[in-house]
Amino acid sequence: MEILRFENVCKRYPMGDGVVNALVDASFSIHEGDFVAILGPSGSGKSTLMHLLGFLDSPTEGGVFFEDRRLEDFSASQRARIRAEKIGFVFQAFNLLPRMTVFGNAKLPLAYHSHPPADANERVHRALALVGMANRAHHKPSELSGGQRQRVAIARALVNEPRIILADEPTGNLDSKTAATILELFEELNRQGRTIVLVTHDPKVAERTKRQIHVMDGRIARET
Amino acid sequence: MSFFSGILNGLGEIWAHKLRSFLTMLCVMLGVVSMVVITGFVEGMFTSWSKNLAERGGLEKISTGNTEPPARQEALASLSKGLTLGDALQLQRALPASFHISPEYELRTTLFRRGKRDWVRMQGVTSAIMAINRYEVAKGRFFTELELRDSANVIVLGTWVANRLFERNENPVGQFVDINGQPFKVVGVFKHYELLFREWNTLRWKNDVAFIPITTGIKKVGRNEKLAWVNVQVDDVEKLGETVDTITNVLATRHNGIFDFKVSTSEGELASFAESKRNSVFFAGIIGGVTLLVSAIGIANLMLASINERVREIGIRKAIGATGRNIFSQFVVEAVALSLCGGLMGMAVSVGAINGLQAILPPDNAPALSGSALVVGFAFSVVAGVLAGVYPALQASKLDPITALRYE
Repeated sequence: MEILRFENVCKRYPMGDGVVNALVDASFSIHEGDFVAILGPSGSGKSTLMHLLGFLDSPTEGGVFFEDRRLEDFSASQRARIRAEKIGFVFQAFNLLPRMTVFGNAKLPLAYHSHPPADANERVHRALALVGMANRAHHKPSELSGGQRQRVAIARALVNEPRIILADEPTGNLDSKTAATILELFEELNRQGRTIVLVTHDPKVAERTKRQIHVMDGRIARET
Repeated sequence: MSFFSGILNGLGEIWAHKLRSFLTMLCVMLGVVSMVVITGFVEGMFTSWSKNLAERGGLEKISTGNTEPPARQEALASLSKGLTLGDALQLQRALPASFHISPEYELRTTLFRRGKRDWVRMQGVTSAIMAINRYEVAKGRFFTELELRDSANVIVLGTWVANRLFERNENPVGQFVDINGQPFKVVGVFKHYELLFREWNTLRWKNDVAFIPITTGIKKVGRNEKLAWVNVQVDDVEKLGETVDTITNVLATRHNGIFDFKVSTSEGELASFAESKRNSVFFAGIIGGVTLLVSAIGIANLMLASINERVREIGIRKAIGATGRNIFSQFVVEAVALSLCGGLMGMAVSVGAINGLQAILPPDNAPALSGSALVVGFAFSVVAGVLAGVYPALQASKLDPITALRYE
């Protein structure tokens, strides 16, 4: 089942006198259970792609469809609701709130649900257990290692049981050993049926996924 | 995000930045305190003034005193003898029996007793002064109508005069004091009056008196029969106007048309006091308002600073699903919580400050605690806090998540 679809999506930014074509004519779709890598060197347009996937940005041309509905049909706050309820984000820099505990950080997306689930605390515990961080629930992020922080960030992305998880260079700030365990975690999550889109510049990371979308100079060079 | 978790979140942020939050609260607190204390001073002035007014006969009192006749009547001034006991008797006939009419004869003289002497303001009076100026006899009695008619040599003393002439363990009642070589029997001593304590006793003038029958004063002690005052106390403030007219008519007739007397009421004093109170409250409001404005700017400044510090947090929150409204309410709640805490602290400190000032300052000038000032000050602080929080919160809610996430 298709979750996300890009149809001839273009993204242009005005810069000085000219225009920067960050993304040109991108078409692809992401289905339930997919494990996709968006692969490209820095400046290739993969960050723009990521922002468009996560509804943080709107295309200049073309259509982004989520569950067969056009992105333009959603208001800003509806997009925020979709992010809160159907999309999980994992960032390169972890982006945990430093003053909150692990538990508080993982729970954060649930606070922005239109109807916060009654079993919110159990969900947080389940998500933390899934990433192996249940025993650190009351620690502050500053007391954790990089890998552990990323696990908490993944728990945060899982807590709302999203349709799709978007991970932007999730291993970029980690050493190779830790990175491997995080990738294993993603593989495991995908085996359990979760849809994952992983943005990376590292072909070795991309190899671990089922499908790769190569981005080059704002264009989708090939899909493998 | 539920309202409750928003508040918890806001309180958490306040706790996380203790110094910054404390400084903000301090701003609000000082705003509230300055407002409450300044209006308290005005309130205090008014309270002690109105207490004093009541002890002097209240609003119902009409004072008639001597004055220079107008220039055009100067040549005819000798047609009038000024205020006399006869005037008072005539007024008694002209005015309702329920009014108190107190003729007062002023004597400055020296009281002697066993080598002690005391220079006092002595007055020849009738029993009407007891009602008008609220005197009460603590020991002995006031002189009787018979003694008044007989011009008896009797005297009633205030406590200070009695204390100066008699030993502490002596009972003055029944003893004698000398005035111009004549013995006067002390028949009574007044109650000791104390509105506020020690040298700030605003009623001390009531303790420094010596009263003799007015007839005795005129015939035996004084050198003329001109009264200092004829005070009238009406039974209803509504009757002040017509009574002033009656007094003026009676006296004008008796003084052969010479206006060498002045009839005055406390209404003028009340009006001018009420006006100065209004002015003071107005200025107190302006000062308090400016202070609160300063505190509002302080809050706005701190909120803006805190937003700059938390751009990344805002980006994260937006990326994982916070709407602009969520962010807006989070920051407004923080501002409200800050100003609420500041306002509450301000109320507590105001009560403390006013109690402290009441203990330190001469009570005539001490502030009074005014409930309305507390409520208004508190409400203003909260409103200022909310208004100051709105702009920064709006800025925060408008942040673009992509830019915010890139922000280092």
